[in-house]
Order: sequence, then C-alpha cells, then structure tokens
Amino acid sequence: MENNGRPVVLLVDDEEMVITSVRAYLSLEADYDLQGFTTPESAIAFMQANPFDVVVSDYLMPKINGIQLLRSAKESAPEASRILLTGHSDKQSAIEAINEVALFQYIEKPWDNQQLLLAIQGGVERTRLLRDLRDKIAELASANESARDVQRRLIRAFL
Amino acid sequence: MEDAAKLEALVIEEHKFASLGRLLAGIVHEINTPIGSIFSNNEVILRSLELLRKDLMDCSPTSLARARQIVDTCRSLAQVDKIACDRIALVVRGLRVFARTADVEFRPVDLGEQIANTLKLVHGEFRRRVTFETEIEDLPQVVCNAGKINQVLLNLIVNAGQAIEGEGRITITARREADQVHVAIADTGPGIPVELRDRIFRAGFTTKNAGEGTGLGLNISKRIIEEIHHGSLTFESEPGEGTTFHMKIPIGAASGE
Repeated sequence: MENNGRPVVLLVDDEEMVITSVRAYLSLEADYDLQGFTTPESAIAFMQANPFDVVVSDYLMPKINGIQLLRSAKESAPEASRILLTGHSDKQSAIEAINEVALFQYIEKPWDNQQLLLAIQGGVERTRLLRDLRDKIAELASANESARDVQRRLIRAFL
Repeated sequence: MEDAAKLEALVIEEHKFASLGRLLAGIVHEINTPIGSIFSNNEVILRSLELLRKDLMDCSPTSLARARQIVDTCRSLAQVDKIACDRIALVVRGLRVFARTADVEFRPVDLGEQIANTLKLVHGEFRRRVTFETEIEDLPQVVCNAGKINQVLLNLIVNAGQAIEGEGRITITARREADQVHVAIADTGPGIPVELRDRIFRAGFTTKNAGEGTGLGLNISKRIIEEIHHGSLTFESEPGEGTTFHMKIPIGAASGE
C-alpha cells in the first residue's frame, strides 16, 4: 500500500521531539511518506481511513498505550508491520506486545537510528511480501475457480 | 539514646531513597526520550554538514537551494536539542535537590520551589494519567530542613498518584496562614475507608502491593512535620471524592532534633 510509490510509515509518540528527530533522520536516509502523530486517537483515526505499511509506536502515552494502539493497527491493516519504540523497558509489556499484537520489532529508547531504519525497512519488505502473497493466493483461487468452471462445462458437454 | 536517634535518622534517610527508587522507571523513561532525540539529531546534523560541504563546493543553484534547506533542518534540530537538554536538566536538578544527603541543617527555604522540584520527579510516573494543578501563592521563606520536607512532599504526592485509579487530578495549593505555611495535596482518588483512618499514620500500615510501599511513608512524614518541624500533618477524606492532606509548617520552625 503506497503513496505515489512511497511506503507509508506511521510514527506515534506523545513527544513531539521524537517525531521531529526521526523525521529528520528518515528524510535523509530513506524515501518514506512519514505520518507523525502525537496522540494515539489521531493515529487510530488515520489508520481507519488510510492505507499504511508500517506503524511505529511509543508505549507510554495518555489514555491509550502503545499495545492498545498496535492492536487497533492490527485490526485496520493486519498485514502492516508493527514496531514498539519504548523508553519503558519492562519485560511484561514486551511479552504482551509480542503475544497479543504479533509485534514485528521491539526497540528501546534511546534508540539507535540505524537499528530503527533497519526495522522499518524490514517491516516495509515484510508487508509487501504479505500483500503479494495475499494477491497471489487470490489469483490462484480465481484461476482455480476458472479451471473448475471449465471442468464442470467439459463434464456437462461430454456426459 | 544517641544511638536510637542515629538509627531513626538512618531509617528516614533509607526510606527517602526507597521512595525515589520506586520512581526510577518513570525517571528513566523521562530522560531516555530526550536522550534518544539528541543522539539522533547529532547523527543527522553530522551527515547534513557533510552534504552541506558538498553543496557549497558545487555552488550550483540547485545545490545552494538544498544547502539552505539543510541549514533550516539543522537549525530546527538544534532547537529540539535545546528543549531535550532542558528536559534532562530539569529532572537531574530535581534529583540533585532530593538526593542532597548533607542537607541536614535548617535554613530559609522557598516551599514553592521544593514543590516544583518534587513534581519534576513524579512527572514521568504519573503524567499520562494524572493532571497536576498547582495554586501557589507568594510564600514567605520557611526555616526548615529542605531535604526532609521534600521527602514528605514526594511521599504525599506519590500516595495521591497511587490512590487514583485510572485518570484523575492532583491539586497542590500552598498559602500563608498567619505564622505558618499551609500546603494541601488533594487527589481525586476513592478516598480512605473510614475503618482505616485511625491507622494510616501507624508504622508498618499499608494497603499497597509489595514493591509499591513500605508502610512507613506516612509515619515518617508525620514525624518529620510534627516532631522535627513542630507543624502538623492531617488529612480529610470523603469516600468516592478523594483525600486531601494538609501540611502546616511554622514559618520560623526551629529544629526539634
């Protein structure tokens, strides 16, 4: 799912400075359509109305935490890759994230830019492969259906 | 007798660091975010300077336009760094004031400043679910032991934050009342059940889970305010409407130690 060919990456953090810093880095190193949100609510509204490839979310945010946000991302776009970027490094939230929202990557703050970029690149790649796979399965199912149709007609013609 | 006094001082000091320890996760989170930004910005600025150098050597209209853009980016990142450094400095300043163990003497203290410092420490732990409101009048300086008063403030504010289930508000007011300063810390928690009210200042009494409290906080706070500063520490509580702790300290409090 792309915007003029550019993968759509969502970054959700209630700290504006994180969005500014990551945006500056990614604009230098990659070509993504980066959508930054400082409230989980605005990110959820975007996800429900727009396609996206990767979502990177902080954990501790007011009202809705990162896992709840990623759960909502999973409902909106199951194939999009989900990354948790957190300064709140406790094992419990990591386990919950991995098990409940099928987390793609878990990154701790202070983050390493290259590690974050690799995670996003990997996430975009994974999302594309999943979408290709889904399309191929659909094509295969459709081809299979056509073949069955031909088979049915042949049977009718000869019997 | 002297040994008993030393032991008591030690218990109070140990308790102070135990309370701080429990806030550490919030403090670390509060610092990790700006540090992450500074690291990232530093990397971007270094890379940008390389690009800028190339653009300036090239000197074509396109590269000069890009150079201007790079300068703008670097300027905005430097502004973010300033904000990030301020954030870290605030937390560290709060910690330094709190951790000053040598501060055993009574001296004139601005209680408004102590409240602000304490709030910096609890900010990370509670800010996502608790709104803090402060109404601090122009206060006279109070002769007190700043380290110990900070310990009481931290204790009362953390208790208020822990009492609030989910979202809520803590209101801190401070005003002069005749020859004393009155600090009130009000939470929007569920209130203290009537049957527990007689016991909350007793040593060892706690309703908190293991790891959240020792059952000594309010007992130590009451001793600090009433025995050491000759003030008073009381509370009022309405079931379902929250609890307010009232701390009153004489402006010219003399050491009771």
